[in-house]
Amino acid sequence: MARPQRTDPRVDFALAAGAAVLALIGLVAPATTRDRVASALRTTVVAPAAALQARAEISRRSFLAAEGTRRFNDSVAFRSERLSGVEDENARLRQLLGLAGAVKWGFVPAEILQGRSLGDEYTVTMSAGTSAGVETLSPIIVAQGIVGVVQRADPSLSVGILWPHPDFRVSAMSADGATYGIVTSHQGPSADRYLLELRSVPLRSQLRPGTLIVSSGAGGVFPRNIPVGTVLNELKTNDAWARTYLVRPAVKFADLGAVMVLTRSKSKQGVDGVWNIEALADSARRSVVAVGEALNARTRDSLAALERQRVADSLALLAASGVPVTSTSPPGKPVSAASRRKP
Amino acid sequence: MSRSRGVVFYGLLCVLIAMHFTVRPMLGWRVNVDFLVLSVLIIAVRARPGVAAVCGFGLGLMADSLTPAAFGAGALALTVVGFGASWLKSAFFADNAGVNAAFVFLGTWAFDAVFLLAEHRVRGWELLAQALLWAPLSAALTAVVGIAVLGIVRPLVAAERG
Repeated sequence: MARPQRTDPRVDFALAAGAAVLALIGLVAPATTRDRVASALRTTVVAPAAALQARAEISRRSFLAAEGTRRFNDSVAFRSERLSGVEDENARLRQLLGLAGAVKWGFVPAEILQGRSLGDEYTVTMSAGTSAGVETLSPIIVAQGIVGVVQRADPSLSVGILWPHPDFRVSAMSADGATYGIVTSHQGPSADRYLLELRSVPLRSQLRPGTLIVSSGAGGVFPRNIPVGTVLNELKTNDAWARTYLVRPAVKFADLGAVMVLTRSKSKQGVDGVWNIEALADSARRSVVAVGEALNARTRDSLAALERQRVADSLALLAASGVPVTSTSPPGKPVSAASRRKP
Repeated sequence: MSRSRGVVFYGLLCVLIAMHFTVRPMLGWRVNVDFLVLSVLIIAVRARPGVAAVCGFGLGLMADSLTPAAFGAGALALTVVGFGASWLKSAFFADNAGVNAAFVFLGTWAFDAVFLLAEHRVRGWELLAQALLWAPLSAALTAVVGIAVLGIVRPLVAAERG
């Protein structure tokens, strides 16, 4: 029998039928057999295709999840930003708790309510009133020192003025008790507006920058020894009989949230020992001295640079006018053009 | 067919097979392009029915190994399509883009029909919707892509037939 030609349709039928039969066997074979064959294929000839498909599906999932991931990241970032604010608030509350532990009794905790409007920046509404023990002229304090004083008290709320308020006054003294004066707000321009002034300091008393100023207790509103601020420098005024000093407040204006209102009985009894005045005074002095030294060093560098520039300019001018100039510059100073031209 | 044209032709088949396992899963559309059917149809154009059937069986088995629940259904469907397309190529395959599109469309639809019947997983209305709605839509999309691909391989096939 002659061997069928390669182009014989019967061969095509035979091949197709064989393939179809094998496919049908695959369809009707037991699941375990099919799985075994499929697994063998996946791990051998189909492995590259399987890897491609796996990568493609991962890419698709990543693409679809990208938007969700971005939203998630945004949410996390937003929460993180809020958390930093919460951490700050937490730190302030801890400080206030520490202060409450030191004061022990005679205080009313209050929250400064938001809603300060333009022109009313230095007046605040607090969440405690007369029913909680708040009275007019009660001192408002935080862990860093004096914040203000209660101006008006209602049963459930009270209104206080903060230290930048033009009506704010506190009888004050240096931490060593040698110098007395009155602290008021400084009505200066821009950022200086958030500083204080220590007025009516006798001429014979001179305060150094970094001196801690505390309440003196005179006047009966603020108890003695509550930090008010730190002396920055003396101000030149028209007052011929007293000195005036610029004071950096102990409490930052932006840090206000939860405060403590001292009751009248506590104000009369005093808060001695609540603040470690000596340590605060030393810390304030050192910080101001460090800042002063840094400024002095910078000034010295600037003056030296100016001097070098001046010498260089003079030599260049002389060289330009034809006067022979010999180089006598010390090391590091610029050499004139004329001296460079000399053999 | 010259050696270089043969390399290009088999390279194109490899690209189509690779696209079946990359582009399809990446798009994840319900109506998608079946690059394996396209490959079998292109093979069927230039191969004898028996060879086309065996190629279809191999490619179907390859696809089935990744979907073991329907193991054998893809192989059977592609065997039928490869064999049938190779028998019909003289009637269908021409220089007319519309006829070629119909060739790919019918081939893909036939594959889907045989596959759906063989795998026995979809029944009732769902089977009808799959066979009469989604399968023709997929076949149409495959035909559009197929025209582009046949435009590329036509010079090779023409050389073979000439």
